[in-house]
Amino acid sequence: MTDQSLKTDAEITWCKGCGNFGIFTAIRNAISKLEEKGIKPENLVMTAGIGCHAKIHDYLNISGLYSLHGRDAATAQGMKIANPELKIIDFSGDGNGLGEGLAHTMFAAKRNQDFTMILHNNSVYALTTGQFSPLTEKGWDGPSTPKGSFEPPFNAMSLLIEAGATFVARCFAGKVDHLTETIIKAIEHEGFSFIEVLQPAVPYHAWSEYNKNIEFLESEPKSKEEALSVARNAHRFTLGVFYQINREVYHKELYGDHNPVLNKLSRDKRLNIIRKILEP
Amino acid sequence: MKNDVFTFLVGGKAGEGVKKAGSVVAHIFSRMGRYVFQMDDYMSLIRGGHNFSVVSTSTRWISSQYMNANLIVNFDKRSSQVHNNDIAENGIVVFNSDEQEDVEGIGIPLSSEADKYTMKKLMYGVGAVAILASTIGFKKSEMNDIIKNEYPSGIEDNIKFADTIYDLVKNECENKFPLEKGDKERVIITGNESISLGAVAGGLNAYYGYPMTPASTILHFLARHAKEFGLAVVHAENELAVINMAIGSAFSGAKSMVGTSGGGFALMTEGFSLAGMTEAPVLVVLSQRPGPATGVPTYTEQADLSFALTAGHGDFLRIVASPGTIEDAYYLASEMLELVWKFQTPGILLTEKHLSESSMTVEINVEDAKWAEPKLHQGGEYKRYLNTEDGVSPLLFPPSKEIIKWDSYEHNEHGITTEDAQTIQFMHNKRGKKINALIDYLKNKTTVNITQGEHPLNIFSYGSTYMSVLEALKYGKINPTVIQPIYLNPLPIWELEKFKDQKNIVVEQSFTGQFSNLLKEKAGIPIKAIIKKYDGRPFDPIELYTRIKEVAE
Repeated sequence: MTDQSLKTDAEITWCKGCGNFGIFTAIRNAISKLEEKGIKPENLVMTAGIGCHAKIHDYLNISGLYSLHGRDAATAQGMKIANPELKIIDFSGDGNGLGEGLAHTMFAAKRNQDFTMILHNNSVYALTTGQFSPLTEKGWDGPSTPKGSFEPPFNAMSLLIEAGATFVARCFAGKVDHLTETIIKAIEHEGFSFIEVLQPAVPYHAWSEYNKNIEFLESEPKSKEEALSVARNAHRFTLGVFYQINREVYHKELYGDHNPVLNKLSRDKRLNIIRKILEP
Repeated sequence: MKNDVFTFLVGGKAGEGVKKAGSVVAHIFSRMGRYVFQMDDYMSLIRGGHNFSVVSTSTRWISSQYMNANLIVNFDKRSSQVHNNDIAENGIVVFNSDEQEDVEGIGIPLSSEADKYTMKKLMYGVGAVAILASTIGFKKSEMNDIIKNEYPSGIEDNIKFADTIYDLVKNECENKFPLEKGDKERVIITGNESISLGAVAGGLNAYYGYPMTPASTILHFLARHAKEFGLAVVHAENELAVINMAIGSAFSGAKSMVGTSGGGFALMTEGFSLAGMTEAPVLVVLSQRPGPATGVPTYTEQADLSFALTAGHGDFLRIVASPGTIEDAYYLASEMLELVWKFQTPGILLTEKHLSESSMTVEINVEDAKWAEPKLHQGGEYKRYLNTEDGVSPLLFPPSKEIIKWDSYEHNEHGITTEDAQTIQFMHNKRGKKINALIDYLKNKTTVNITQGEHPLNIFSYGSTYMSVLEALKYGKINPTVIQPIYLNPLPIWELEKFKDQKNIVVEQSFTGQFSNLLKEKAGIPIKAIIKKYDGRPFDPIELYTRIKEVAE
């Protein structure tokens, strides 16, 4: 393994031209830039769900836990609660984070758990042969929807703002610099930061589909109401930070400045307290 | 048969302080230096219904409630009807004469007296304590000291009410059952408190839970004590989150535990399997209640044993153990935390509502708890899944310059996903070595409690049923050999083999006899008879003794 490139020696099995490569480049750029800013790579820990997005866990050379499909947001929260000094990056997918793991994503936002979820949105269950996902537009001709999908997709931006996320942005795997900068902002943000990354899965979607539609927000909305309104009305290819606010994070509400792993109570102290509790 | 036990039973509606009255009475007995066992029977509702609390006490160690009560206080008609047959010979029944007439016993106008106070029905419990106080010969001043301590809100009203009730029953109850003092005062705790304290003593750092009876009180107890023990205690959105958070915390180096009942554990099995693959040390407290499905939420059963033994998809080591008494729950919780960290695999502390929520006087040697201490990386290149002699790879926690990768896919020693045939087999073998390592380790430990008897009969039981068996034998004054496997996976067949050619019976609380099947299939123990109970209620010692006698002959 070579630390400098932040790449492991695992064989990369994403399709040629996959949008995941853009995300992979951006996260490595972001980690290098964060190191210049004083955030050491060893303090960054990742987790990932299951799906094409999650393969990044094998490729990116930082520590982490390759979780189950949809459970990565819960894993991330457990990592953070145990040791709040760690900065957690959770790689998720549209099916992973808004299908199987929807409850965990919503509650991470509700609690303002301090970690970053990067949700690779390829609008399809790619690894399982192209079924429609929670972010797929109506009319998708997939193997599970032979007459075309008829469920409307979630709007990830408004959904996350409403649920309580305190940093909500959309990026595009084809705009690597913008993505890199947004990832840095998200990791630096204290609280639950969510980035939806539009990411073409080439067997299913052409880059041109994205390139011709991409546009940027003119300005960052100032209030939650404005952010919700912008998020609801914006085109699904609209990029930018939709919402950012400061709110007390979960672990501080839970135990203040304590750190369960670094400030462990000694065995003797524990036993003394237990003795007192067990006094008749 | 003469019994050296005194039993108090109080029954009424939820919201009338039934359980509290039971606890106060239990404390009166323990302050007298006596041993106590309290069982609370309650329905899955907030107000109304029928709840009762049974407190049995003796000057010797007692490990069960007796349904045959010497003093019964019924707050309402329903309680009188339900407990009509529970009265012991020469026992006293006190009933609420505002609700019924023409029943045997001592009628007192409990409702109309209580209605004079702002707390109304909340006063009933105070009344029950007053009746008990009179019956066991307490002076009013002694009673009032207790009322002051135990019912601190509205003290004046409480004392006035207690005095009234005391006077109302005085003629018929006073000093009817003078109780001998015991040797010393002991603390009373519930099984869930014992489990919680044992886990903390063993090194617990984080607890995750989603409310589910009968495990919820672990969550409540640890949340209440989180600050003093430096714990993170989290009520998560569901059991899927609970187990995955615990695994995430283990990755960060926190000794983590979760607690639930059967239905919640069903949801956790996906993550339980993840713990098997990632070799995450996680301890699950599985407190059984009658199933299947929602079953009977506030009652007891032992029908999740087979489920626990095989929970989670795939081949991996699951450590399953069950404490036989509320005291043992303390030691076992610490030992299980030690073992899941020593062998980096998930474990289940299997128990039941009857142990979780019953309470008894205990004497715990606090320092006998085990301490979870994992094998740690000693420097150099790190491989999360390094193949070692015992299959246990050293742990390292972030932040570290070394790369630490835990993986839910099959993986190589670095924790990188693999589909390579040789590596798949290699890693199965690597994890599989932990099974024999654990068995070797357990061979030097107490894995089965065996009390050698004189009667040519062996009685097998596990979990809280062990307490019922011990009490039934004390009641009947017979002493067969009593065998209680603490470990259920791996089942300590090295300890059980000697019983193969003997007369064995099993006592358990499951319809299909899951524990009996385990003994037969895994240890080759022939079983002459199974005494089963599957009505949600724990065994009563007298009933159980009668059934043991039947099969013994």
